[in-house]
Amino acid sequence: MTAPAVPPLPLSEATAGGPASTIVLDRVSRWYGNVVAVNDITFSLGAGITGLLGPNGAGKTTILHMLAGLLRPSSGRVLIDSTPSWRNPEVYRRIGLVPEREAVYPFLTGRQLAVLAAQLQRLPRPEAAAAAAIRTVELDDAADRPVGTYSKGMRQRVKIAAALVHDPPILLLDEPFNGMDPRQRLHMMDLLRGMARAGRTILFSSHILEEVERLSDGVLVIVAGRLAASGDFREIRRLMTDRPHTFLVRSSDDRRLAAAFMSEPAVFATELRDGRLTVRVAEFSGFTRAVARVARDAGVTLYEVAPTDDSLESVFAYLVSRR
Amino acid sequence: MTVFIAIATVTLRSLLGRRRALLMLLLAGAPVGLGLLVAINNERLGPSEVGATIDAFSNRVVLPLIALVFGTSALGSELDDGTAITLLTKPINRASIIVAKVAVAGLLTAALVVPSTVLAGLLLGGGGAGTIGVTFAFAIAGIFGSFLYVAIFLVLGVVTSRGLIIGLGYSLIWEAVVSSLLRGSQVFSVREYVAGIASALDPAASPDSVIGAGGFLYAAVVFAIALVIGTVRLSTYEVRGTD
Repeated sequence: MTAPAVPPLPLSEATAGGPASTIVLDRVSRWYGNVVAVNDITFSLGAGITGLLGPNGAGKTTILHMLAGLLRPSSGRVLIDSTPSWRNPEVYRRIGLVPEREAVYPFLTGRQLAVLAAQLQRLPRPEAAAAAAIRTVELDDAADRPVGTYSKGMRQRVKIAAALVHDPPILLLDEPFNGMDPRQRLHMMDLLRGMARAGRTILFSSHILEEVERLSDGVLVIVAGRLAASGDFREIRRLMTDRPHTFLVRSSDDRRLAAAFMSEPAVFATELRDGRLTVRVAEFSGFTRAVARVARDAGVTLYEVAPTDDSLESVFAYLVSRR
Repeated sequence: MTVFIAIATVTLRSLLGRRRALLMLLLAGAPVGLGLLVAINNERLGPSEVGATIDAFSNRVVLPLIALVFGTSALGSELDDGTAITLLTKPINRASIIVAKVAVAGLLTAALVVPSTVLAGLLLGGGGAGTIGVTFAFAIAGIFGSFLYVAIFLVLGVVTSRGLIIGLGYSLIWEAVVSSLLRGSQVFSVREYVAGIASALDPAASPDSVIGAGGFLYAAVVFAIALVIGTVRLSTYEVRGTD
């Protein structure tokens, strides 16, 4: 098995003066007893937005927690701007963490939570910093309500406000769009893009391909604790798209269509069983371009063409199998 | 100082904002209720009886239970439900988190235990000669006990997610059974430190105390050890990865 031919994400310079903050994982593993949660992962990130993509249970949260100094790596090094994040509270001046768990003091109002975060960061004007952060996430109207009364999306936003209050150069977000409505999601994406343009290093986790596609400059695909692929999203997307696919086809004459498909280079197998035609293709895009033409040339009417293995899990499984 | 006040304030609101505060108030009221029963019956206990009753009821039941609840809730519960992430992901010394939490939980415990002890003592003894001294000896010893118990239970909450159960076991099994059977084990009993401090302040408070004035020293040493262990463990605390 070989790794996808995608180079590691390059370190980049901040656009707004000075070197960008960097995140480095160097041969990092983390296990719980006999269970390996993260397995020998190496990557480095600079300014920009990177998506940490993977199915549930892949190890994304473990990676973010190690970066945030909340978990000790079992082996390897986790560095924030060249200093270890583990047992180093000073790194929190440079990190803003938005955890996935909705764990915030429910009796505090949104504003009080942001002020608390600002006070704990020892900011000179905590109220002003909190107000700015609340405004940034568009939570002014609900800022004086207890967090316990917030919707899931509002809690996400107030957690982001608390993480932004000290204007950190590095932002780590664990499934940040969970519970947000589409408008909030778009606003948050715009906000994160703007922060990335200003030279910040942003890493967010998601199990939703489209979220990562819309927001990320680069992507790290994590499957079963391993780095399945990394690099430019378009390259990863091509790998995902051009993997072998299986389609179920229904038509007016499946037998004739099966014979016609076999002359197509994108198709490497067809199978007729129980009145259903299964087509195995080597190249997704080549097949989807050819299928209508082949049917027309064979004089067959297509009723249905459906991929059978398009779940994200199957995509991830394919990427892992390439390693 | 701002950081200390911020942590203390949020801890205070957390401990008071739940139903547990009302339950603790009821628990602290139990010795007062006993005193009322005695007073209503026009009985007056002597100094040694007042001391024995306060020791048995306030010192051996109410104080450790209230301290257990506040001590384990002040940090252990926040670590369990994840709210402590707000504190742990900030550039603040872990010792300041421990100290602020112990200070608030200890003050809350003392704020319930001391008035409860004083009221109960005054009602039991009817303000008679010698009983006031015993009462205040236990009240002052209760302040030491509040902070010491809270420190121990708070650290238990950092070390294990079963701090409440282990703390209950320490109080109900070790202190109540083992240390009463094996006198040598009393040097590991906060309850005996409190009785010793009370007897040092007023010999009639706990005349049989093995620890005596040594309770001050034991309490100071154990308190310092608890703070150090709590700080070290919190510095290496790991959240459980969910993914």
